[in-house]
Amino acid sequence: MRTVILAAVVAVIIGGTAAPLVLLAVQDSAGAAPSTFSRSSLGDLSKFRTIVVDVKALADRGDLPAAKARIKDLELSWDGAEAGLKPRAAADWHIVDKAIDGALEALRASPPEPAACHRAVDELLAVFDRMQAA
Amino acid sequence: MSGIRGQVLNKVPEVTAAFWAIKLLSTTVGETGADHLAVNAGLGAATTTAITAVLLAGALALQMRQRRYVPWIYWLTVVLVSVVGTQVTDILTDKLGVSLFVSTGVFACALAAVFAAWFATEGTLSIHAIVTRRREGFYWLAILLTFALGTAAGDLATEALGLGFNLGVLIFGTVLAALALARGVGANPVLTFWLAYIVTRPLGASLGDLLSQAREYGGLGFGTAQTSLVFLAVIVALVATLSLVPPTREPEGRRGA
Repeated sequence: MRTVILAAVVAVIIGGTAAPLVLLAVQDSAGAAPSTFSRSSLGDLSKFRTIVVDVKALADRGDLPAAKARIKDLELSWDGAEAGLKPRAAADWHIVDKAIDGALEALRASPPEPAACHRAVDELLAVFDRMQAA
Repeated sequence: MSGIRGQVLNKVPEVTAAFWAIKLLSTTVGETGADHLAVNAGLGAATTTAITAVLLAGALALQMRQRRYVPWIYWLTVVLVSVVGTQVTDILTDKLGVSLFVSTGVFACALAAVFAAWFATEGTLSIHAIVTRRREGFYWLAILLTFALGTAAGDLATEALGLGFNLGVLIFGTVLAALALARGVGANPVLTFWLAYIVTRPLGASLGDLLSQAREYGGLGFGTAQTSLVFLAVIVALVATLSLVPPTREPEGRRGA
């Protein structure tokens, strides 16, 4: 019994250390770098992009509270689709996710800084366009 | 094995099919609940973690004070441990930028260390004799780490290997079936129990995703809220049944392992 437990503990320690390293090597060799120049394998992101276009229009009009309300729709739908989208292209997913976080943060600042909001929303739209570029 | 007769009866349930069903479903419900508070209710990850950690502390205190296994208290604690264990990994990954490779390795080693300390002080890892406060402490600490490890390892499979929930259900389900088979042909029951405990975390998550995700992503499109409510209803029904039907044998009974 004692030997079995000790063997199991040792196996978990070795496996727990080695397995992530092996995966890391696999990931490197597979070239998991974000696809900047071709259409992202995330697939059709148009329903998310539509919301960003709305947010940008509201922000450009100077209605930051409305932009803040509209971007919540993006947060909810993006979050809800995570399990479906992320496995398709994790690196790309993180780029978009980070850009969304940036825009959320800018619009939710109190008080929101107009210049920062415009910059963050423009950047977000640019990220979506890059992902959808043919 | 140890023959220790503590002041209390075994504080944790016997491992039955109902046990695994509740364990599996509670993962999804816990994660959806936390996500709902953080995103839909807009509390943010930090506040949500703080709230659930306080709830967990309360449930754990209640659980520790019992002198025997009380199904609803035990399973409430498991659901909350599931939420907090998941959030610990999420915060490490999303907010602190810790690599999933690192957190998976660290949680695996931490879990091994808890088992080593548990075995060194108690001389057994038996889950049929959680009869002292110290053993129960080890038990819950190990469970918290299995959820954190299961989350990190499951996310790692998604990130590094692009493993989606469809394949996830298949692979993690196969691993669980293999463990059941191994247990059937005489593999170490304690080892197979804890391995199954780890793998049911990503299996539960994949299963929840399969039901809730939209059809365009390969899911069945039931939606997160509906899936979680159905799961919650099944959990409540199972726990209620376990509470109402008295155990056929003295829960303290089985020794060894």
